[in-house]
Amino acid sequence: MGKSFFKTRVILFLTALLLCSMAGLSNAEDELNCVLCHKHRGLSRIDENGNLRLFYINEHMFEEGPHFRVKCIDCHQDIAKIPHDPAKKVDCTTECHLTEPSGQKNFSHKSVAEQLNKSVHGKFDTEGKEKKNVQDFPGCKDCHEEPLYRPLSFFKGKAGGISQRGISRCKTCHRTGKFAESFYKHVTSRLQKTRQPVEMVQVCDRCHSDKDLQQRHNLDDVVNTYKETFHYKAIKFGSDETPDCLDCHVVKGESVHFIEGRNSPTAANNNKNVATTCRTSECHDKASENLAGYRVHVTYDKDKYPFLHYMMMFFTGLMAAVMYFFLVLIILELLRRLFPNFSFTKSPDDGHH
Amino acid sequence: MLPNQLKKLMGKLYAIALIVFAVWYGYFIYPIIFSHAEHHGLDVVTAKAGASVEEKMLQKVMSEQKSTATTDLGYTVVKEQYVKGHFHHVGMTMEKDETSVCARCHGSVPHSKAKPIRAFLNMHAFFIGCETCHIKAKPDQAPWSFRWYDKITGKILTSNPKGLVETEKEMHGNYGAKIGPGTLASDGSFNFLNGERERAFVIDYLKNKDALNSTDQSKMKKVIHRLVDEKPLLCDNCHTSSQKPYIPFDELGYPQRRIQQITSTEVVGMLQKYRDFYFPRFVMPGQTRADQPAPNAEQQADASKAR
Amino acid sequence: MQKYPKIVEKNGRRYFFRFSLHQRLQHIVLFTCVITLSLTGFPLKYFDQPWAAPIYKFFGGIHVAPTIHRTFGTILLCLFVYHTIYWVYLFYSRRILRLKKEGCLTFGNAVKEFLSQEMIPCKKDFYDLIDMFKYLLYITNRPPRYDRISWKEKFDYYAPYWGIPILGPAGFILWWRDEFSHILPGFAFNILYVMHTDEALLAALFLFFVHWYNVHYSPEKFPLGTVFITGYLTEADMIHEHYAEYERTMREEGLEDQIKPQHH
Repeated sequence: MGKSFFKTRVILFLTALLLCSMAGLSNAEDELNCVLCHKHRGLSRIDENGNLRLFYINEHMFEEGPHFRVKCIDCHQDIAKIPHDPAKKVDCTTECHLTEPSGQKNFSHKSVAEQLNKSVHGKFDTEGKEKKNVQDFPGCKDCHEEPLYRPLSFFKGKAGGISQRGISRCKTCHRTGKFAESFYKHVTSRLQKTRQPVEMVQVCDRCHSDKDLQQRHNLDDVVNTYKETFHYKAIKFGSDETPDCLDCHVVKGESVHFIEGRNSPTAANNNKNVATTCRTSECHDKASENLAGYRVHVTYDKDKYPFLHYMMMFFTGLMAAVMYFFLVLIILELLRRLFPNFSFTKSPDDGHH
Repeated sequence: MLPNQLKKLMGKLYAIALIVFAVWYGYFIYPIIFSHAEHHGLDVVTAKAGASVEEKMLQKVMSEQKSTATTDLGYTVVKEQYVKGHFHHVGMTMEKDETSVCARCHGSVPHSKAKPIRAFLNMHAFFIGCETCHIKAKPDQAPWSFRWYDKITGKILTSNPKGLVETEKEMHGNYGAKIGPGTLASDGSFNFLNGERERAFVIDYLKNKDALNSTDQSKMKKVIHRLVDEKPLLCDNCHTSSQKPYIPFDELGYPQRRIQQITSTEVVGMLQKYRDFYFPRFVMPGQTRADQPAPNAEQQADASKAR
Repeated sequence: MQKYPKIVEKNGRRYFFRFSLHQRLQHIVLFTCVITLSLTGFPLKYFDQPWAAPIYKFFGGIHVAPTIHRTFGTILLCLFVYHTIYWVYLFYSRRILRLKKEGCLTFGNAVKEFLSQEMIPCKKDFYDLIDMFKYLLYITNRPPRYDRISWKEKFDYYAPYWGIPILGPAGFILWWRDEFSHILPGFAFNILYVMHTDEALLAALFLFFVHWYNVHYSPEKFPLGTVFITGYLTEADMIHEHYAEYERTMREEGLEDQIKPQHH
């Protein structure tokens, strides 16, 4: 599919571009021709902290995401000249020049930031003070690469991609192709997970597997313990039916950015709410409340889970005893075969009748 | 009798082999049996307390090495390199230059001195071998010839890199190949300035480096860098419309359209607009700050703050 | 039930009866299940190993392999139940009915009969074990003389008898976790999960090397011991592994003068 699909996409895009410019609309995202330099793969350097900074922009993939109508300078607002100084970090809450159709206001990700600030990942506590080790708390870019549209087609079963039959209904009126396509992609992409569960786990893993960070914030090794469950293993082998981190840590219907700590009474993983979370209609809907007693992030820690700890000790001991007893036996037996006639004493009844 | 003895001997040899296997099996199952602790964070290996900044950095880089896995972006199934902190998609993996002699010490992102243009220099280093700009032919030598070489195998490419010619799939530098200078022998065969022999020498040196004292190390470095010029090529040696570009683009298979871009309309236009941008005379290697000609003092100060 | 001759002579060689067709079939079902269960189970346990994904993919990946695993698990559990019934039936028909006929069926006699079955560990096994260590440590040159079922074989036999009751129900409950959550506390699933995977690991490690060494890898048998297919053991193997039974069978069959000495 890839090649021809891509080709048609490019052609569609170019046509749309042509149409737009003919109509006098300035829809070109790159008026300043930033891509003249930034299209080069190797545009990079090692920064003062030893990190690779890559300045390359993949135009084709940029066009596949929700930002495709946003000009570079809308986000990188501090760039005033070319060649430019190192650009500042992009603030996702700034208002860009897109008008949000439902409210006729300039669009911004402020509401997302608000959700994040309320959540356990927010940088400020309830009194508005900065939390301890504030540098560890995530900003947008710590979890998000540029999103990509993943449009869906529902004609004759669910499949990936734009349904030409579906979009033809839009295009009857919205003839300038780009609007119909982008609207279609905008809506249908959000009808499913925009990132695969495996990626989602990777996102949390970036911070939560950092041992130093765990120590600083007194956190358990949640990702690695989760990875020991069937939930993750199924995901790892390509299932999208078992839950990733978000499915259990976000209350159904809430913004995914609003993850609360276990102690909050409204948190999805608060002791009182775990059963509800497990028993949502997509998951363990036939289970009793007892299922909430299942510990996902379980360890063999002696103090926290003594029973499991001693059970692990028992099985490890059993395994080691059985295996090494028989291995020693086999080795002895093989060694005995090397010198079959030697022995310290001769039995009178040695088998030689 | 003999076959019987042979049979016995074979039996014993087999028994010995099996003993070896049994011992190996015992060794093999040890971590499997006792793996619970490490799997479940009992004996987690944490960074040594009191490790220096450098040690921590090394550990961090080492651990990130593993996580540069390709990610599966689902619908379009894009396999790409994960570059930490890079918001926009790369959409691909970038081949490292496995063969460059220089990259063994200087790395594949080598330029860091010339702050305003180092990213651009690194961008060029992505598809142009170091020798191209840093080793010029001496006046008594014939000018270099140029060939594409495969980044992984180091072999000369028989045809031009695909992403170079095909407009639709233009790869903008990610050709999996690099331009390298060399000499043409009388029989028509081509030899890169840094070939097999030089590579073997550098590898050998790096292996034995620690055994040498600092004087000998300096001597060896002199030998390795003997061809390297003090002053590299400048941007307008190639990005020029007024004279023949230093790199023979047409011979290297560049399509005319691309040559046009490189030598006139796009790039040169930009370079002329921002003169400091492409005349980095103030960052000549081997020159002290005092004797750098500063075309625009303000811009320079600005530049050293930046990038 | 079909009667098997204790000794079969073919091409001038003697073969000694060990397993009936019925038993061999049970064994085939057992190992087919165990191998399939291992191959569809361990890729999950060691999901981050490079071999895991290809093996799992071979069994149809996450959408098929679990069904295969559960199906074969069910078959194995059924086999376990079947075998237990088979054992009880044999015990009843051969021993209890005989005691009844003889009119001496008391609890004490029944226990005695139970303990005298060939699969039940007995004193001789303990002495054999000592004999074996004496022999292996070069203290004596007299190898142990095992009867029909040696202590090793009894161990092999009871390994599944301990393993399946741990593995099987645990797997079954994890499969029907939602339904079982009405009877069991949630933490039980954590325990069952550990039981299931750890016991499976022990079984796999044991079977792959120790059991297969006993029946396939050992120098006389390599590359393949055939008794699990034919049901009969060669004379050499019989002397090597079951000398006590060998002597007794030869005497019973009137071949006392042809009994060969026990080689090491």
